Amino acid sequence: MNIQSCVEVRNEWDIVKARQSGRNIAKELGFGTVDQARITTAISELARNIYLYAGKGEVSIERTETGSKVGLKIIAADSGPGIKDIRRVMEDGFTTSGGLGAGLPGVKRLMDEFTIDSKENEGTTITAIKWLR
Amino acid sequence: MDKLIIQILNESRQRIYTMWMDEMDRVREDHRLQSITDATYEDTNKELFEIIYTHIEQNVHKPTERMTEFAERLLKVGWRLSYITQGLQTFRRIILAVLLDADHSNEKVFNMYDEIDRWIDPIINQLINESAKNWENTVSIQKVALQELSAPLIPVFENISVMPLIGTIDTERAKLIMENLLTGVIKHRSQVVLIDITGVPVVDTMVAHHIIQAAEAVRLVGAQCILVGIRPEIAQTIVNLGIDLGQFPTKSTLFKGMKTALEMTKRQMIDLDE
Amino acid sequence: MRIPILKLNEYLLITIQVDLDDKTALQFQEDLLEKIHETGAKGVVIDLTSVDMIDSFIAKVLGDVVRMSNLMGARVVLTGIQPAVAITLIDLGIMMKNVPTALDLEQGLEKLQQELGG
Repeated sequence: MNIQSCVEVRNEWDIVKARQSGRNIAKELGFGTVDQARITTAISELARNIYLYAGKGEVSIERTETGSKVGLKIIAADSGPGIKDIRRVMEDGFTTSGGLGAGLPGVKRLMDEFTIDSKENEGTTITAIKWLR
Repeated sequence: MDKLIIQILNESRQRIYTMWMDEMDRVREDHRLQSITDATYEDTNKELFEIIYTHIEQNVHKPTERMTEFAERLLKVGWRLSYITQGLQTFRRIILAVLLDADHSNEKVFNMYDEIDRWIDPIINQLINESAKNWENTVSIQKVALQELSAPLIPVFENISVMPLIGTIDTERAKLIMENLLTGVIKHRSQVVLIDITGVPVVDTMVAHHIIQAAEAVRLVGAQCILVGIRPEIAQTIVNLGIDLGQFPTKSTLFKGMKTALEMTKRQMIDLDE
Repeated sequence: MRIPILKLNEYLLITIQVDLDDKTALQFQEDLLEKIHETGAKGVVIDLTSVDMIDSFIAKVLGDVVRMSNLMGARVVLTGIQPAVAITLIDLGIMMKNVPTALDLEQGLEKLQQELGG
């Protein structure tokens, strides 16, 4: 089984595809059921953001490690409109879609590490890591 | 090590021993080892001295097996590691004094000084490292033990369980509590869970937040929480901090909470007529 | 894909056993409201025991379906939400307030019976 996967997100079905491959990899890496659910949900949220705001993009999921820690890394990248004010989207309760998506703060809480890289009109790359406990 | 040094050390062994033993009396006061009998203290000193000398004889720059074993044994009965490191340092001071007495050139003295430092420091360092490693081990084992003790969910009546929380709640523990709570609720088919915070010393915003989240999660899986064991000072801090615990019932004692829980599951406690 | 809706006296029972995609979720919302209208059901139990993930979208659809059904006079109880799913929802900041829950199908039906008075 490959410990890496990349799913292109173009339609709503791809969101399901992305989270299923995320669950498989999380299982493979030995995450418990709660963390599997956290990872799958985070992928679902990130993939949905791509679908809603950028139209298309991709979600890659891979094994990662530093020192003695092993983890799962999600990279969600698109070349959509980008995020104008990163600080604002990281505030709880901020939304531009009228309540779709729990927003990025929620995803950040699900994962252990979370970084956003975004340029207006160029796109957004979000990287999130969950470490095996 | 320099042959000359070894020779001097061997020749003056008795003198060094007497001087060292005198110094070790002071170490004893520093370490509150007065409760140890004079005989035991002297025997231990004698053994340490012997062990230090075997290092010289074997010309090794790290603790011998005998030294490590000696250190472990002492630590186990509650002596401090610094007794040994101070013993070694005292030893260094004395042999330097003895070597200086022998009247050598400055350069020679400096070399001897350097050599002895290079000999003793690694021994001390490694002893400290090893005991630090042991200590870290102990800490991580205790951490696991603490987690295991952390948060048991106890089924009391049919459909009613209690989770007593004891000690400080940090984020790590809060996660564990939540998982235990939810899996326990499913396993015991609890409809009502009493979370008892009598044993939680401080309830600040963070702790309250964790407890509220746990209660919300319990509601999602289909049961209900009652928060019990709210002491007056905790009630005060909760209100002063502006924390809203209004979403679920709270009671001052486990007993009162249990009565409510029974009512919620359509039962009650009654006194039997005598 | 469609999620089957079973009728039992004046209740509707739904067991969701697939990984819900957005379309299926919305289709379900529509089907359920239609069925409530058609049967005049007073209570609905949606069992989520086999659902291993609820993201914000599915949570919103479920929350909406509860409110919409209430408007049409049917009480809805969600049952069998798994611990991992509950923890994830809390992490996301979704409390699903005002949505009645129960441990399993059996207790869900009991809850409905109590609330609807027999």
